[in-house]
Amino acid sequence: MDVLLDLYRDMWVVRAFELGLEREFKKGNVPGMLHTGLGQEAVQAAIAQSLRHTDAFFPDHRCHGLLVLAGTPGEKIMAELFGKATGVCSGKGGSLHSADPSVGNFGDNAVEGSMMATALGVALAYKMQKRDDLAAVIVGDGTSGRGEWHESLNLAATWKLPVLYCCVNNGYAISTAVGKAHATENLYEFACAYKMPSIQVDGNDIVAAHKATEEAVDHIRKGNGPFFIEYKTWRWQGIFSGEFRPDDEVHYWREEHEPIKLAQQHLISSGIADAAQLEQIKAEVEAQVEDWITFAKDSPAPDPAKATSNVYVGWEIAAR
Amino acid sequence: MKRMTIVQAINNALDIMMAEDERVFLLGEDIGHMGGDFGVTRGLWEKYGDERVRDTPLSEAAIIGTAVGAAMVGMRPVPEIMFSDFLGTCYDQIVNNAAKMHYMFDGQFKSPIVIRTATGGGFGGGPHHSQSVEGWFMNVPGLVIVAPATPADAKGLMISSIENDNPILFLEHKALYRVRGDVDESKYSTPLRKAAISREGTDVTVVASMKMVHESLAAAAELAEEGISVEVIDLRTLRPWDEETVFASVRKTGRAVVANEAPKMGGLGADVSAAISEECFSALKAPVRRVCGLDAPIPFSVSLEKLILPGKDDVKQAIKAALA
Repeated sequence: MDVLLDLYRDMWVVRAFELGLEREFKKGNVPGMLHTGLGQEAVQAAIAQSLRHTDAFFPDHRCHGLLVLAGTPGEKIMAELFGKATGVCSGKGGSLHSADPSVGNFGDNAVEGSMMATALGVALAYKMQKRDDLAAVIVGDGTSGRGEWHESLNLAATWKLPVLYCCVNNGYAISTAVGKAHATENLYEFACAYKMPSIQVDGNDIVAAHKATEEAVDHIRKGNGPFFIEYKTWRWQGIFSGEFRPDDEVHYWREEHEPIKLAQQHLISSGIADAAQLEQIKAEVEAQVEDWITFAKDSPAPDPAKATSNVYVGWEIAAR
Repeated sequence: MKRMTIVQAINNALDIMMAEDERVFLLGEDIGHMGGDFGVTRGLWEKYGDERVRDTPLSEAAIIGTAVGAAMVGMRPVPEIMFSDFLGTCYDQIVNNAAKMHYMFDGQFKSPIVIRTATGGGFGGGPHHSQSVEGWFMNVPGLVIVAPATPADAKGLMISSIENDNPILFLEHKALYRVRGDVDESKYSTPLRKAAISREGTDVTVVASMKMVHESLAAAAELAEEGISVEVIDLRTLRPWDEETVFASVRKTGRAVVANEAPKMGGLGADVSAAISEECFSALKAPVRRVCGLDAPIPFSVSLEKLILPGKDDVKQAIKAALA
């Protein structure tokens, strides 16, 4: 099967997962806060396609779909977001901490950019252990304001570590536009300052995003040190109180430059698939996601013993 | 046995662990050819090279983050933060990353790192080179705080710390670096979470840490001449601390003084004294007293610094008050 058709299915996994999750969140079935990856499907599909299970990746807040694409059964991710016993971290991590080392998922961290430092350590260890695996870290545009962003780029470049920086530039850190709070809107320019090879790519164009990611991974695997990709994209989700962006901007990204629509046009015009096939893929994925949601809903709450387990390795904590 | 300073004892422990286990590596500022600000890593770069004794930029968050990441995939990093005052710049990495990882990922990852850092005052270091920071970290589940007071313990606790699977903050008091003692040159470990009874006594228990162990021992020696028998406990592990040894001693003596150098409010002294009051109330013949630093930053002038930091005479005074 054509890799683009695979990627198309992957984009639908992200889309359907997030739409289903958002629906359940609004119904009150999902606790906590919700950051969806809607609108960023091509970026996630491209990254997942280029990594292997022996690599490490640190997802960002909007990567629920990517966690599934990495190979963890979808129901285990969904159940984690529902805070259930069957979740990938037994319901103790939730949306921002759904790690699964068996597929290389090293977990997100709610403090943006923290994992940019952690990724250095994984990459350094892989290098010391003579492995040709890499550490990928997925960050948003807002993270470029953190000190760890700069500490990480500097050290990865200086020590030539196998780190793949995937910067998902969706234009806003919650409500603050990139250009309003940073010296540049083109975040790959920070990588240039650290003498790190980089590329800026249309993150809503799956063909371009896929190609850029493959080339970056290839560069790193050959022992050339880190690589920085800036994916220009846009998120559907507004801020917690609603949509705050101008109408023409919303129209452009949601109608004209919407990643799944662009992928459909490409697949059909290049003769890889017809509309009926694409519709079938969508329907299959949507049905699968509904199964995951049902599984999560039907799963039990975590065992109360989990509340106090694994605070320390090998030591129990005092009872109340 | 060999006479060693604490600097030499920790160096010896690192050398033994690096020779034995290639997963152990060091990173920090000026720890390589310079051997560290206090000489703790001296000679290790020459022996183990750039890969395992890594000089870093002034990027404390990246130092700790790098250690955590490497630990997640099987390494045993020993990062150094030059002064404990600088831990604020990597606080998030320690508190939210290293200490919580095992819990929030429900056991799927471990973070066995040993963060070495020089702490404490008494040498005119000024407000940002003299603080005792254990209170900053007492409230962090998942973290272990180790704080030796003697060369023999410094070595044995360092070896235990490197072999332990939990993230450890290893406090090295600057005023104790040149303290000498007999140290076994072979490999041995000193148990974590186990206090030492540094001096046995029957009238009052002093629960101390780091430099205050020495101040308390000096106080005890002087009070012995007055016929007062003081038991001095060196906590060694500050979090989680050894309740069993402390409570047993307090139940025996009926009186307790808690001595540590950090500010009084919200610190180790508060926790230990509260726990003693909760658990040993019926055995207590007097209120538990705390000997701590005053609730002020550490001033530069040595004459002023002396007014802030607790010492032998403060311990003596507290003991006498407990006995009054």
